[in-house]
Amino acid sequence: MLVIVVGLPVAALGYHLHLFPDRSGVRTIDIVAAAPERGGFQPDVIRVAAGEKVRLRFSVPDVTHGIALGPGLGIDLGQIDPGQVEEIELVFAEPGRYAYYCNTWCSPNHWRMRGVIEVYDPANPSRLVSDSRPDPVTGALAEQGIDIDAPHPASVIPAAAKPSATRGEAFSTRAETPLPPEFDDASWRRGHSPAEAHTLLNRELPALSEEEAWDIIAFHWLRDLTPERREWATEQYAKNCAACHGEAGTGTGPGVDALRQQGLGRHGEEDETTAINDPQTILGGTSNIYYAKIRRGGMGTGMPDFGPVFTEDETWILVDYLWTFQFAE
Amino acid sequence: MRKRLLTLLPPALVALGVLFVPLDMFAATPVTRQFTVQASQFAFDPPTLRVNRGDRVVITLEATDVVHGLYLDEYDVNVRVEPGLSKQIEFVAEKTGKFRYRCSVSCGSLHPFMIGELVVMPNDAFARAVGLTLVAALAALVYLSRFPPGEA
Amino acid sequence: MSESRLDLLTRFPWLKEAIKSRLWQPAAMLLTLSFFVLVILTGLLGTPAGSRNFGIIFVWIVWWAVLIIVLIPFFGRLWCAVCPIPGPGEWLQRRGIISRVPGKLRSLGWRWPRPLRNIWLQNAGFLMMAMFSTIILTRPLLTGWLLLGFLLLSVLFSILFQNRVFCRYVCPVGGFIGLYSLLSPLELRVKDVAVCREHKTKDCLVGTSCSYGCPWLVYPGTLKRNAYCGLCAECVRACPKDNIGLNLRPFGSDLLVDKERRMDEAFKAFIMLSCSLLYSVVLLGPWGWLKALANMETVSGWALYATGFLVVNLLVVPGLFWLTTVLARHLSGLHASVHRLFVDHAYGLVPLGLAGWIAFSLSFIFVNGSYVIPVLSDPFGWGWDLIGTSRVAWTPLALGFLPALQVITLLVGLVFSITTLYRIAQQHSSAFAGHALVSSGDRAWWATLPTAGFATGVTLLFLWIFLG
Repeated sequence: MLVIVVGLPVAALGYHLHLFPDRSGVRTIDIVAAAPERGGFQPDVIRVAAGEKVRLRFSVPDVTHGIALGPGLGIDLGQIDPGQVEEIELVFAEPGRYAYYCNTWCSPNHWRMRGVIEVYDPANPSRLVSDSRPDPVTGALAEQGIDIDAPHPASVIPAAAKPSATRGEAFSTRAETPLPPEFDDASWRRGHSPAEAHTLLNRELPALSEEEAWDIIAFHWLRDLTPERREWATEQYAKNCAACHGEAGTGTGPGVDALRQQGLGRHGEEDETTAINDPQTILGGTSNIYYAKIRRGGMGTGMPDFGPVFTEDETWILVDYLWTFQFAE
Repeated sequence: MRKRLLTLLPPALVALGVLFVPLDMFAATPVTRQFTVQASQFAFDPPTLRVNRGDRVVITLEATDVVHGLYLDEYDVNVRVEPGLSKQIEFVAEKTGKFRYRCSVSCGSLHPFMIGELVVMPNDAFARAVGLTLVAALAALVYLSRFPPGEA
Repeated sequence: MSESRLDLLTRFPWLKEAIKSRLWQPAAMLLTLSFFVLVILTGLLGTPAGSRNFGIIFVWIVWWAVLIIVLIPFFGRLWCAVCPIPGPGEWLQRRGIISRVPGKLRSLGWRWPRPLRNIWLQNAGFLMMAMFSTIILTRPLLTGWLLLGFLLLSVLFSILFQNRVFCRYVCPVGGFIGLYSLLSPLELRVKDVAVCREHKTKDCLVGTSCSYGCPWLVYPGTLKRNAYCGLCAECVRACPKDNIGLNLRPFGSDLLVDKERRMDEAFKAFIMLSCSLLYSVVLLGPWGWLKALANMETVSGWALYATGFLVVNLLVVPGLFWLTTVLARHLSGLHASVHRLFVDHAYGLVPLGLAGWIAFSLSFIFVNGSYVIPVLSDPFGWGWDLIGTSRVAWTPLALGFLPALQVITLLVGLVFSITTLYRIAQQHSSAFAGHALVSSGDRAWWATLPTAGFATGVTLLFLWIFLG
């Protein structure tokens, strides 16, 4: 009897401890991934030396989570269902801060479900890993006095259906009168809203029809979105954005109800829409503003900061993708 | 012994009738029925879907809180659904009766009991089972009255 | 009656040798104990996701299925003979596991209070567990603590009281196994009562040099029903007259034993019938709000649920049956008091109750049975893969047959119940043979009409939940 009562636990624990951490001399870090109200990631900060091979084992006790690592690592363990364990072995080449985060809506607090990986320099382990350099875009917006949390309603919007980038491209290439040079300037485009571009076109090329003008804008606002970038963004949008903003950008995902119940920011007022497919709401804003919102999060709206999760370039892909809710190909 | 068997013969015949008589009189013309089913811990809303045999059933499945699934008994449907990303399920309701749809992705404590019902009319199986029960009960009573046990 | 018995021990001498061996019971108990310890360990330490936890799956699917579908209907209390819970306590009392250690049992030797020498405590315990069942059977941690609690409680009881007082008067599961074992086709009985009457030393009660006295505090010489015989076979080992047999007999024989019927057992029958209905409604039904109440999402909601649960168990179902008995008495003109008829006829509901439990259990066993495969590889949900099956997906089985199986089970239960109800009524009607107006058979028939209607109504309710 003693054999059973004492032996079984010892055997089980022994098997567990022996099997995993020591299996191949790789340091294994066990991370429990639970919804934030049940403890979130435990631990939520891990320290790893640059160049050190580590194994991260995520186990899920409560509901399905999607586990990904960023920024710029391109690691996504996919969805892990309760009671299952997924692991990954990896080496961080450079010191820096990385994040592990949940990208499947799992709770009203889903957006808080983050963990930090501090990759330190083994030669100088005590040096703090700096958070990140200040973001130039966000900084510039602040300098210009642009409040990224304020609404930026469009002064003018397309009259009818979604403008078409394909038509816009055809028109741009065969146009007898050249377009204003600003249209070929990526940084100008990022700093100006489609509505402003429309005003410019109206002034410079008054002969254009309404439809033609919007088609041209559609083409230029989507021109950086290559098929690969679009594919990446579509996947990331589905994982990180759709739960609140909705598959079609209607702002009616189930996450909005959850945030509203927490009285978070503008979601508190029923009539305030977060619809990113609404031209009035979106066409007055600039790519820079949306870039800043994505990276920093919307203060008080429950929009998380994706800065720690995506690289700057990844963020730009998402911003470019955002315009697909306004403009058709 | 023969008398006993003879007593049981009429109920047995009725039982056979209950089991095999065709029940096609309720046949309705098939239509397409659209449903939006919301899955949340630990229920489907609406809890019961009613259709007729031959109907084309189109279900838009949405998850409102965490990842869920929908497994429909006997219909070879098993769909996983994430909050914010709805799924479309389509099939023709060829089999009649009550079929449970169950959450197929572990979603928390009561996950195994997260159940909804698809009732495909006419629900022959239920009608026959009720008929059979009544026949069995009556047959037992008749038999007991004619051949009381212990008094043979 | 006895001509319909087949003594397995006489028929199969090897079985007798096996049963008389002191080895089989401890061996079986040690086996179940190792599962039990693993269940507690996985419950306490393993993943909180029930469907991936060995404890939840093995207790509430495997053990429950075996118990309700195989052991109880066919072997009665056999589970009690191999149950690991009383093991450690019993071995402490005996100071040994296998061999008969000379001397008396070691315990404080307290006496179990007379007012509790019935199964009311077990009824209460079962109801308590049933009220919490939705949360117990979905939370590994609770299941773990509950079973550990049972184990410790049984050890405590073995220290305080001699023998298996815990099993006989306390264990909430033992209560219903006892009642339902009345209909199992297996019984342990003396062959010739006269031999026991003449036999003065009563070895079966006090024990011998190679056997212990009956741990269940039962005297085989007057044993008429399975209810409190734990099938441990100590008496078979003790009997110097070779007067104890293990009989195969017709199903349901003990339900007709008319001398020992009691209100506590009658209520057990109602509680079990009500619970199987309630479980089917709450757990298998589509009503999420009901599950939310049962799942203790709010304390007030759960209080409401618990109140409703108790009202159905203790008032609605017994109350309706009381009215049915009043009607039965009125229709038949039986002389026995309503109280007597109520208690006696309750035993007629035992087959239907068991059928209800089997039908209910079938539905989740076939649906969720496949969970067994991954937890064998990864009992704790820690990411193990012992036999390479940890990623086998959940696959419901045999759903096409399920409704037919449930209907057949319920119909067998119903007809069995009606027959039993009739035979119980017969016992009352033959009590006064002088009455010439109606024959005793007719009187029994009229008495059965309402109770059979009650049973039919319950069956239809089950059918509605499962198929309707």
